[in-house]
Amino acid sequence: MPSLLSLFQSCKTESRLDWQPAFLKEEEVKTISALLDMILPRTETPGALDVKADMFIDKVFAETYDITGQKNIRAEIATFNADCKKNFGAIFTDLNEADRTKVLQEAETTSEKFNPGIWGVSLGKQKPIGFYRSMKSMAIWAYFTSEEMGKKVLSYDPIPGNYDPCKPLSGVGNRWSL
Amino acid sequence: MANFNIDAKKEKVYDAIVIGSGISGGWAAKELCEKGLKTLVLERGRIVEHVVDYPTMNLDPWDMELRGGLTPEEKEKHYKNIRSGWVGKDTEHFWADDAANPYTETKPFLWLRGHQMGGRSLLWGKQTYRWSDLDFEANAKDGNGVDWPIRYKDIKPWYTYVEKFAGISGEAMNLPQLPDSHFLPPMEMNCVEKHIKGRIEKEFSDRNMIIGRCAHLTQPHNGRGQCQNRNRCSRGCPYGAYFSSNAVTLPPANASGNLTIRPYSIVQSLIYDEAKEKVTGVRIIDSETNEAIEYSSKIIFVNASTLSTTQILLNSKSSRFENGLGNDSGELGHNLMDHTYRVGAMGKVAGFDDKYYKGRRPNGIYIPRYVNIDENSKSDKFVRGFGFQGEGFRGGNPANIESFGADYKDSILKPGPWEFFITGFAECLPYHDNQVTLNGDVLDKWGQPTLSIDAEFKANEKALNKQIQEDAVEMLQKVGLKDILGFDKEHPPGYGVHEMGTARMGRDPKTSVLNDFNQVHAAKNVFVTDGACMTSSSCVNPSLTYMALTARAANHAVSELKKLNF
Repeated sequence: MPSLLSLFQSCKTESRLDWQPAFLKEEEVKTISALLDMILPRTETPGALDVKADMFIDKVFAETYDITGQKNIRAEIATFNADCKKNFGAIFTDLNEADRTKVLQEAETTSEKFNPGIWGVSLGKQKPIGFYRSMKSMAIWAYFTSEEMGKKVLSYDPIPGNYDPCKPLSGVGNRWSL
Repeated sequence: MANFNIDAKKEKVYDAIVIGSGISGGWAAKELCEKGLKTLVLERGRIVEHVVDYPTMNLDPWDMELRGGLTPEEKEKHYKNIRSGWVGKDTEHFWADDAANPYTETKPFLWLRGHQMGGRSLLWGKQTYRWSDLDFEANAKDGNGVDWPIRYKDIKPWYTYVEKFAGISGEAMNLPQLPDSHFLPPMEMNCVEKHIKGRIEKEFSDRNMIIGRCAHLTQPHNGRGQCQNRNRCSRGCPYGAYFSSNAVTLPPANASGNLTIRPYSIVQSLIYDEAKEKVTGVRIIDSETNEAIEYSSKIIFVNASTLSTTQILLNSKSSRFENGLGNDSGELGHNLMDHTYRVGAMGKVAGFDDKYYKGRRPNGIYIPRYVNIDENSKSDKFVRGFGFQGEGFRGGNPANIESFGADYKDSILKPGPWEFFITGFAECLPYHDNQVTLNGDVLDKWGQPTLSIDAEFKANEKALNKQIQEDAVEMLQKVGLKDILGFDKEHPPGYGVHEMGTARMGRDPKTSVLNDFNQVHAAKNVFVTDGACMTSSSCVNPSLTYMALTARAANHAVSELKKLNF
């Protein structure tokens, strides 16, 4: 139970969210948002936070996860932060840039990968995907399916008409959004 | 489009009743109506009018609240279907409610249903291939099941007839095991597929790789628009570019002025008249009002989809047919088949980095059967055979790349590596003990007995699957693919969504349910022309054969009717 004073201090030092999450608690949102921003930062093109991928992921947790799923994701975020604390002395959002980078590098090299899939189902025996790569995958999904990315950054062609079976990539540019 | 006549309140007597409005029911309705029969189509679900009732047809991911994701309530509604990988927010409304329509899996079996006007013709894979005498003679030759009462020559003109109206695209190859259809121009392979085709045909002189033959229009046809390569077919196509009852067969049936289609009509049973030795009508339950109603007609087409058709026949009990209508042979409910599914190989294709494609072609490639087609290709491990579907595309999963940050993000905006897969479809033998039975212990919402499904793939299908995977890996190795993954999801039957059998055609009433014109042997004014009628399963997709058998049976029905034989 934090003291009144520490609550007061945290209010002063940390920026508040400017949106109301439907599922995630404030600390959880900040962890997710920080991860998203490191994986898909703003460059000449928008980053994950620019297209509100964090807000969408919160909505996905709130509206598509059942109670068990929600409990699990909450536990996974807590474990992720507990590991950061154990290995680097603080939860993810309180680490400096260098330590955050180490956390992600470690996760990239040690975590399981997605099997390929066809027609909506993954092939072979899928090993459990850990929290980090699941979040990364979800971030990419949220990012690519956002309207801004889908219409303006990726190549958008809702009604292709003819099929060009062998088009030079230079004539398309970025990947098709649909 | 003209509104459909759904008023079946006053008129209880028709020339013909068609149960179901999917691929085969739609054809039955069109043929019977156009031949002048006042026809009542009984549809279990709601009316789905072409275009008007396709709410998701133009939605981009961001137009959907959860970008295609389902809520826990929606997942519960489709709690069986969810295993298929097919159901999402974009098509959820076209898949039946599993919770409200229970079935019992004595052995694991996935039963995917579409309870609305058009049925699964809205959702099907649209791969369309003629069967050959390799298929129609198979049972007779190797002694499994019973002989088909027809041969390719009997159905050949009817293939042409339905193809001309439906519009089938493909390339003529003159292969005896996969006869050519009456084709619209073929779709095109992309550069990687063309490359792999060349390599496979060079390395394996017994094999061909062809563009998929499919029920998509590659040019305008009979007032329907051509495919726009959006690949959003299962949401309903605003151009009517693929074959569905809604876009293709029911509109002309309606235009004839002879069609009445009654939605929310669950057929409980057929009414058998012992004195007349024929069926005189059907009993239905209105799913909305629970009202029980009877309709009568001279002929009945049962096209409720394979297992639902058999469920209706099993539930049609009388003192003449204590074990279900037309079940003198004891074969009703037996010999259930499906194709094996998701067994094959995939790999990465080196090169072609500067090549891409434009358009989302709703079709892939096909490798026709090459095993057990003649003496030279005979296998000593199994009977029958398999074909492959597949596709080359730029894929990869950017989440698997061991990187993050600015450079990573910019790199994944480009398309991923070229990948190619082939997945086999193996023929399943007709086994008497692969069966469905009525289950009086589990009743549906309307108090009706449900189905128990007790079916499995056996040694021959497992041997075929083993060969599929070995051949798939070998082919991808020989054409130089990298990171090859052989796979077998070991799906139980049902996943192929090609359920066939349970009311098979045959020459002998003692061992089959239907005759050579799909008539119930002992009640000749009842026709079954959906997947239930199939005597064997071939390894190629069955829907085109349902269409041809239906048109052929409808023609026979009307000529018999004119001869006053009913």
